[in-house]
Amino acid sequence: MSASPPALELVGVAKSFGAIPVVRGVDLQIPAGERHAVIGPNGAGKSTLFNLVSGLFPLSGGDIRLRGRSIAGLPPHRINRSGLARSFQITNIFHRLSVFENLRIGVMARHGLRFGLFRPVARMRQVNEEARAILALVRLEARAEDLAGDLTYSEQRALEIGMTLTTGADVILLDEPTAGMSREETDRAVELIREVTAGKTLLMVEHDMSVVFSLCDRVSVLVYGEILATDTPERISANRAVQEAYLGEEPDESSGRDFGQDSGGEAAP
Amino acid sequence: MSPPVSPSVRTPLLLALVLALLIGLPPFLDLGLQNALVNVLIAGLFALAFNLLVGQAGLLSFGHAAYFGIGAFATLHLMRAVEDGLAFPTPLLPLAGAAAGLAVGAVAGFFATLRSGVYFALVTLAIAELFHSLAPHWEGLFGGEAGLSSMRMPWGGLIFGSTLEVYYLALGWVTLSVWLLWAYTRTPFGRLTLALRDNEQRVRFLGYDAHATKVIVFAISAMFSGVAGALQAISNETANYSLFSAHVSAGVVLNTFVGGSTVFFGPALGAAAFTLFDHLVSDLTRSWQLYQGLIFVLVMLFAPGGIGGIVQHHLRHRRQLDWSRLAGPYALAGLGGALVAAGMVFMIESLSVLFGEGYAVLRRDAGGGHPPFEAFGAQWDPAGPLTWGLPLALFLAGLFLIARARRDIAALWESVRSAPAGRPAGRGPEASARSAPSGSPS
Ligand SMILES: Nc1ncnc2c1ncn2[C@@H]1O[C@H](COP(=O)(O)OP(=O)(O)OP(=O)(O)O)[C@@H](O)[C@H]1O
Ligand SMILES: [Mg+2]
Repeated sequence: MSASPPALELVGVAKSFGAIPVVRGVDLQIPAGERHAVIGPNGAGKSTLFNLVSGLFPLSGGDIRLRGRSIAGLPPHRINRSGLARSFQITNIFHRLSVFENLRIGVMARHGLRFGLFRPVARMRQVNEEARAILALVRLEARAEDLAGDLTYSEQRALEIGMTLTTGADVILLDEPTAGMSREETDRAVELIREVTAGKTLLMVEHDMSVVFSLCDRVSVLVYGEILATDTPERISANRAVQEAYLGEEPDESSGRDFGQDSGGEAAP
Repeated sequence: MSPPVSPSVRTPLLLALVLALLIGLPPFLDLGLQNALVNVLIAGLFALAFNLLVGQAGLLSFGHAAYFGIGAFATLHLMRAVEDGLAFPTPLLPLAGAAAGLAVGAVAGFFATLRSGVYFALVTLAIAELFHSLAPHWEGLFGGEAGLSSMRMPWGGLIFGSTLEVYYLALGWVTLSVWLLWAYTRTPFGRLTLALRDNEQRVRFLGYDAHATKVIVFAISAMFSGVAGALQAISNETANYSLFSAHVSAGVVLNTFVGGSTVFFGPALGAAAFTLFDHLVSDLTRSWQLYQGLIFVLVMLFAPGGIGGIVQHHLRHRRQLDWSRLAGPYALAGLGGALVAAGMVFMIESLSVLFGEGYAVLRRDAGGGHPPFEAFGAQWDPAGPLTWGLPLALFLAGLFLIARARRDIAALWESVRSAPAGRPAGRGPEASARSAPSGSPS
């Protein structure tokens, strides 16, 4: 245990919609620099958990701490400014702006240009360069001037990740970044995520166990709003309780480590 | 890099030309036209200020008369103070309108932008209605029912007595304001405004306070609306509570959407067209507002991008357009449109005469029955086949021509779209597209 607080810490986090509890007391500590996956069946509350951490919904109970400081109750923009950025399971971009512009909006925020009214943004070299750099990082240079709404699905997913990086946060939440992608697209996305989250803390929802294995240090299994287990990918996939709760049956050899691939196309726009 | 709201490449040249005309032409025009041009400038600025909110931020306000009116009243108060001896340069009077618009806009915007969509629109409507019902009873601030009046005072050798002087004062302020509004679109905050329109939620998750952003956009829009109101006050030297009416709020909506809210200068085009049209025909007909409404409905149905949208569409494809082939169908469509309009106008004017008070008197004098009525310099029998057959024939003939032209135009545009951008439309796809629909008459 190091002296510095975890990058992200959830303490008894709970959320009910009306009388229905969706997240039931989640405790989780993610040290700085860790890549952490959340897996679990559909409707387990993974996205809800992300929505709580990023400030979209108020908590029903518990506390969330970013580098030791509570962010519970803060609005999304304040949480973002504290250094936590998220992507969305359902692509959430500026459809009628160019791809470059989509990224530049976030870069502007990092430079504190929230009310910049006195200089054209085209002349702000630093801002444009940083936006270009992220554009290159997510390999969308060829599409820079196209409207984001005209991108292909996987290009939009790449843009979605790129936008999450623009504000310079060092805690990144990605909600099913590879959902709906083909095998090759997924492989490319994994490389991309590895690259862009180097030196940052990553919390991601992921159904594809091969992605989890190649990318993540630890995995938490969320079932019915509760964390069943948190461990390394190897130990999780060997965990009997997880297999039973998650699959509802004994795993057979052939299904390998690819459990939970039931997300289907629900993330398609 | 062409987000919907941004001037096109050719714009600077075109603008310089328009500005040169606006500077050079008016001295040669008669007084009525000079006055109409002052109104064009005011309505144009108002529409552009309004469109900052609607077109760029995606917030539809139904109560922008409030900020226009506030700007006018604030300016009149300042003018009265100048009359009473305050040393304030007359050319800078619109600053009062700007300040008042900004202040009231910030407060009103704070509350209105707490809600979005329909509720936002309703709150803005209610705020304008509040001013409209308050003003007639508030003697000190709005001069009661009669309103406030004042005189333009001479300043630094300028008398500000003639319409022409007022015109140039307005032109100066409108040019400055429009330039600022345009520069706004290129600042970080201007880009953020567009992002806000597209996806407010994502804006928040990128670290922006969406509410604060909307309040500022609202206030800036109100500020420039206030400048427009100020110019109106300076031009008319009077203002009363009717400036706050829903009629004024609706007018700017009409101008903006007919002009095209997705193109920066679109709303100004709409304002210019309606204001000039108003000047030309309001003496000839009492149904002007009906025509205005009709035009609005037609534009929304058939060219939702407005005038500006059509112009921009053509500019964007100017390289691929083969005007020698488009000109014919366009002329045909124009002729068809004119016939349809003639038929409609004939019918509407006839009906407005027949249902008017004058005709009731005529009937009484004739002892009942349906005496002939006069319209367009001729006598018409209310029950005559020609009276209704003629406009109907014009109308149908026009529709037929439009339908014909539309087919050809659609085919030509199809070929433009399928041709690779940057080079003139090829012969191949065009020929095949043209040959397809030729048989069935409609
Ligand atoms: N805003 C909301 N209001 C009411 N119920 C909600 C809301 N958001 C989510 N839920 C419910 O909470 C439960 C968990 O949803 P959530 O989206 O968090 O699941 P998930 O684990 O992300 O599933 P998936 O793998 O399908 O993305 C679901 O039953 C869902 O219907
Ligand atoms: Mg989810």
